[in-house]
Amino acid sequence: MIQIMNWFSMAIGLIPLNRQTAKSTNAIDYAMMVIVPCFYLACYTTINFLNLYGLPYLSTCNSVCNLSNKLFMHLGAFLYVTITLCSLYRRKFFFLEFNERLQEIDAIILKCRRVAELDKVRVTVVKHSVAYHFTWLLVFGVFSFALYYDTKEMFGIFGQFSFVSLMVTSFPFLAGSVIQGEFIYHVSVISERFSQINTLFEKINQEARHKQAPLTVFDIESNGEKQDTREATNANGDTKLADEMKRQVAKKDKQKDKAESETSSDEDDEDFDYDDATMAEDTGNTSESNLPDLFKLHDKILSLSVVTNGEFGPQCVPYMAACFVISIFGIFLETKVNFIVSGKDRLLDYITYMYCVWTGVTMLVAYIVLRLCCNANNHSKQSAMIVHEIMQKKPAFMLSNDLFYNKMKSFTLQFLHWEGFFHFNGMGLFALDYTFIFSTVSAATSYLIVLLQFDMSTILRNEGLMS
Amino acid sequence: MSQPTPLVQPLLQQFQQLFFLSKLVGVLPQDLESFRTKNVLEKSSRGMWYLLGTIVAYVALYNFLIISFGEEDRTLKASQSTLTFVIGIFLTYIGLIMMATDQITALRNQSKLGELYERIQVVDERLYRENCVVDNSRLHVRIRLMIVLTFLFEISVLMATYIKLVDLTEWIAFFWCISAIPTFINSLDKIWFAVSLFALKSRFEAINATLDELVATHAKFKAWQSGAETESELILDSNSPPQYDSNLEYLYKELRGMDIGSAKNKVSPIAHSMNSFGESIKTPQKLRKTMVNMAHESELANPAKVEEKLNNLCQVHDEICEIGKALNELWSYPILTLMAYGFLIFTAQLYFLYCATQAQAIPSLFRSAKDPFITLFVLCYTSGKCIYLIYLSWKTSLASKRTGISLHKCGVVADDNLLYEVVNHLSLKLLNHSVDFSACGFFTLDMETLYGVSGGITSYLIILIQFNLAAQQAKDAIQAFNSFNETASLIGAEMENGTFSFTSTTLSPTN
Repeated sequence: MIQIMNWFSMAIGLIPLNRQTAKSTNAIDYAMMVIVPCFYLACYTTINFLNLYGLPYLSTCNSVCNLSNKLFMHLGAFLYVTITLCSLYRRKFFFLEFNERLQEIDAIILKCRRVAELDKVRVTVVKHSVAYHFTWLLVFGVFSFALYYDTKEMFGIFGQFSFVSLMVTSFPFLAGSVIQGEFIYHVSVISERFSQINTLFEKINQEARHKQAPLTVFDIESNGEKQDTREATNANGDTKLADEMKRQVAKKDKQKDKAESETSSDEDDEDFDYDDATMAEDTGNTSESNLPDLFKLHDKILSLSVVTNGEFGPQCVPYMAACFVISIFGIFLETKVNFIVSGKDRLLDYITYMYCVWTGVTMLVAYIVLRLCCNANNHSKQSAMIVHEIMQKKPAFMLSNDLFYNKMKSFTLQFLHWEGFFHFNGMGLFALDYTFIFSTVSAATSYLIVLLQFDMSTILRNEGLMS
Repeated sequence: MSQPTPLVQPLLQQFQQLFFLSKLVGVLPQDLESFRTKNVLEKSSRGMWYLLGTIVAYVALYNFLIISFGEEDRTLKASQSTLTFVIGIFLTYIGLIMMATDQITALRNQSKLGELYERIQVVDERLYRENCVVDNSRLHVRIRLMIVLTFLFEISVLMATYIKLVDLTEWIAFFWCISAIPTFINSLDKIWFAVSLFALKSRFEAINATLDELVATHAKFKAWQSGAETESELILDSNSPPQYDSNLEYLYKELRGMDIGSAKNKVSPIAHSMNSFGESIKTPQKLRKTMVNMAHESELANPAKVEEKLNNLCQVHDEICEIGKALNELWSYPILTLMAYGFLIFTAQLYFLYCATQAQAIPSLFRSAKDPFITLFVLCYTSGKCIYLIYLSWKTSLASKRTGISLHKCGVVADDNLLYEVVNHLSLKLLNHSVDFSACGFFTLDMETLYGVSGGITSYLIILIQFNLAAQQAKDAIQAFNSFNETASLIGAEMENGTFSFTSTTLSPTN
């Protein structure tokens, strides 16, 4: 499905062709990105300056129809021009950078999974839930319905020249929605990586739970011995440093030959159960040795989302604004015009229904964007929660060593900084989460109250639609 | 130049042209002579009197303008709806209020402003000592660009108004250019604020860049270290017989140690000489680059040393935050009036544009609203000023918040217990010490405010237009009724009284 969407957005010139290969000819890559906007502008000028093939120039078009069609067209022009400019400005660099960073992240995740022995468990990424398929079907259905409806009506009016009119009415909203689809795709990728990290954190958490029981017993029994070692570590902090270095070196060795790593980790697990207190220092082969990598990973994914948001956030703003305006006017036209005079003028009916259809489409897409951004935020927050949980459990590897404690504390503090620094947002104007829905709904209500007081009856009477 | 040469170029050196210009038109009262020779802002009583004189002159001129052009508004009061008239009266004086606030605040802040730039200078020196250099040299380009833009907007609005809307045959038309004074003075004042804010932002960014560079260097260092180890092992595996392993390893380590040592020896004396002599800004940057390129040594490998550096950077960060607060406090009233002005003028200009398209009379001081293109220019100018300040405040605040993240990256990449403790401690400090810009505490200057304000403007505009429509409809109805009454009374005079009473009863419900 995502492939289809990518091909489609390449076809209508929103993202460059061969976006993930650095070396390819610019002319072919950006051809569509130049041709389609030029075609759009040609259609726009045909309608607005040559006064051809536009709905406003039909004899059956009355003043209400004229006004609403013009609003729709110019709003679409605003949306499409801003989005295209952003896309042209972004070009290929973003996709390359995104891909590069993602590969880096994936490599580390794979490494961590290996250490955590999660790769033996079959990865169930391929299997999506029912909701996922349902959402795709819904989006696909809504879009095809909207396009089918528009094309059918336009073809009925203009015949073979209907594409000119379609280019300026439906196409900008379609393009905007597809770009939002790209945003959704990127955010979902990020969100998925967050959830993978969370499973890794969860693994550590579970291990802590399992290993706690024998260790507390062990703790009580060999209290004196442990104190000795503690004193020893306190006495020479350098040895600790050296141990730390050794641990890292060991980790790197393990990277090199993975076949050995699994067996050695098994051995180390056994060591863990039977060895004395010093093993807390060099249990590098259980999954808590993942922690520094995981922290780095979390940081990297967050900076990746900053980059993604920086690219797609500006495109969100005109889309949300257009969505807001057409939904308000859609409701207005539906209640003040269509309820009263429906069925009398075919063109007017078409315009009001077009508003409603595109309101539905854009609202659906906007909702999915908000939902996914919220999801990604929640996933990233969950990591911090799990780390806190691990800290509270005081697992074995934290007992004789402040290092892990400080590490986790540092991570949670860093997350606090991240929270102040970054949310998914539209250029800082609004946060992309459910609070945005609340604020728009309240704004829309107040506008609607003002708009619904507007007296349409005289205008409708003048047009001869009402007696 | 009897003073010891400063380590860094003072920030105010970039402000030369702006200072002369603002001194000339009376935006700042500080002493001209001391600025020219020493690049400092000093209190001056002569400047104060000059500034007061300019205030009085501007106020008098502007009032003269209002009175002389107000003649046209007499008819407006009678013909137009009270709404338009009242809005006109309110907004006539807001430009003047804004200008007076700017100038009086400048008087009040005479001595504090100089202190602020001295503090920035101290910060620069401290940053320089941490090998973190802020490039001031491009600031004057930015200032010049802003001044040029201000002139361009003012003059184009003025010229367009002269060409299209002012009757040039009257001698009083000459005085129309007074109407540009308040916005021009306000813009100059805001350029000072904007550039100072930008300077703070670049300092935050310099700190962030330094921290990021520490991380990058350390990552390279680690990679190099591990690479060297694997290399050495490879050499050992392939070339040498196993019994010499330990010896060779020892030798190799010696060699490597020597390598690091030699690199240090190469670099450090240069660094010391640089610091003590304190040459121009360009040289340390070169030094930094060479360090990154040639020697894979990392400061983060030495926790005790890096602790001091991180501590210093955090202290500087705190100091910059404090300066930001001071800066915000100095300009709090001007910013508040500017935002109020922007909001009101934006709404009013659009409303009057609507009135003008409906062929209604509008107050004479808002004649620029008669033409859509001039309106567009005026709106761009006003909103550009407001939005740029808001955007810059937002970015500065974000840059200050980013420091915490970069600091933690240092901790994670070094993965050292002592460093973690230092980082955690400093991070808490940073978390409590973030800078947020606000207008007198009424609202924070960030993009969300902009979102709220744009929503407010739209809803007020809709309400205003609705009222205007209603008033217009009522007026039409009254006029229709009156004319109908007249004809009816004429008819009624000819005929009997019966028809008149009949029409009045039928018409009254429609009103």
